Amino acid sequence: MASENGAVLKSIADMLANGLKTEVEPFPETDKEFAEILLQLRQLDPKDLESKLVIGGFLDHPYGPDRQRCLECMYYLVHRRWCDLPELSVPVDPDWWCRLWRI
Amino acid sequence: MANLLWLQGGACSGNTMSFLNAEEPSACDLVTDFGINILWHPSLGLELGENLQKLLNALTSGQMPLDIFVFEGTVVNAPKGTGEWNRFAGRPMKDWVSDLAKVASYTVAIGDCATWGGIPATAPNPSESQGLQFLKRQHGGYLGAAYKSKAGLPVINVPGCPAHPDWITQIVVAVATGRGADLSLDEFQRPKTFFTSFTQTGCTRNMHFAYKVSATEYGQRKGCLFYDLGCRGPMTHSPCNRILWNRQSSKTRAGMPCMGCTEPEFPFFDLAPGTVFKTQTLMGVPKDLPQGVDKSGYIKLTAAAKAASPAWAENDIFVV
Repeated sequence: MASENGAVLKSIADMLANGLKTEVEPFPETDKEFAEILLQLRQLDPKDLESKLVIGGFLDHPYGPDRQRCLECMYYLVHRRWCDLPELSVPVDPDWWCRLWRI
Repeated sequence: MANLLWLQGGACSGNTMSFLNAEEPSACDLVTDFGINILWHPSLGLELGENLQKLLNALTSGQMPLDIFVFEGTVVNAPKGTGEWNRFAGRPMKDWVSDLAKVASYTVAIGDCATWGGIPATAPNPSESQGLQFLKRQHGGYLGAAYKSKAGLPVINVPGCPAHPDWITQIVVAVATGRGADLSLDEFQRPKTFFTSFTQTGCTRNMHFAYKVSATEYGQRKGCLFYDLGCRGPMTHSPCNRILWNRQSSKTRAGMPCMGCTEPEFPFFDLAPGTVFKTQTLMGVPKDLPQGVDKSGYIKLTAAAKAASPAWAENDIFVV
């Protein structure tokens, strides 16, 4: 399982490093907007990694004046290095960020 | 022997159901062990029609002493301040409330509707509902800010939707047994013995709160319900995790977020889709932070807590 997660993590890292354009903006300021993004994610094939990253607005670095990171996000599991938001459920790096960030 | 009268205004009877489920002490204990004479109660009273009117008139005239006046539900003023939408025993209930509150040694508001107006008083408040001495956070309510019962206390507010059974009976016993003067009330006239600590106090998810591990679905046994599912436990004054419901559980223990029902603003949410049971955020940060915590401190605390969290915090530790 750990090696499988490691492979997926590397795959995501490669896509982001290779310049994958993701929907960083607009940030969902309201819960209605947040819910709309979740709805888009639910319609994806769970294995469609690239679309998850695009719709989620992933970045492979901290974001914004507060330097928001996955590390502080409520969905991030430190020891598994995992995003526990059911609609994403992907391995992530603590210094990444996505627009579904919540603290 | 202390005479107790319980009336209902704009109510769903939820607090009556709660009262009848009390265990320590039970509703029966009030009568058998504590000498409380329940003159009339909507679900227990025997008198009807003219006999009930006679009883009420005997109380308002002073012919019979009223030691404890318990009111459940809102004071309904509609339409146009007449109170005609809630008539009882031949006249608007609000008129009975006025007259009975004047002669009562103690007046006790049970449940959110009687204390703050609760759900019926939520905008646009078509029933023109008020709590006995508050309308939401605004002091005054139906009886006015200056009201004091004959014993010298303002309305004793026991909020909740419903109030916990034992909060009700323990307060009733306290005033019936002459310990009313010992009651210390907070700024919203809630007994401090129940409403000083937070719902979070005693929550089994406190370790997940501390390590910032979130529950993402209802009923999950791991994870804190505050971060995503709108739990108001850190901001709500109640002993729900100290004095358990049915002696064994609470909302948060069952995986259900606290709705903050002992606070004057309840039900808080504007009830639009997506706002209920969802932590409201501004740029990802909760709009309502735990009491006494600011945004900057909260972000720093989160980073430190996440970085320091142990592996077990991410597991369902309740599975054996």
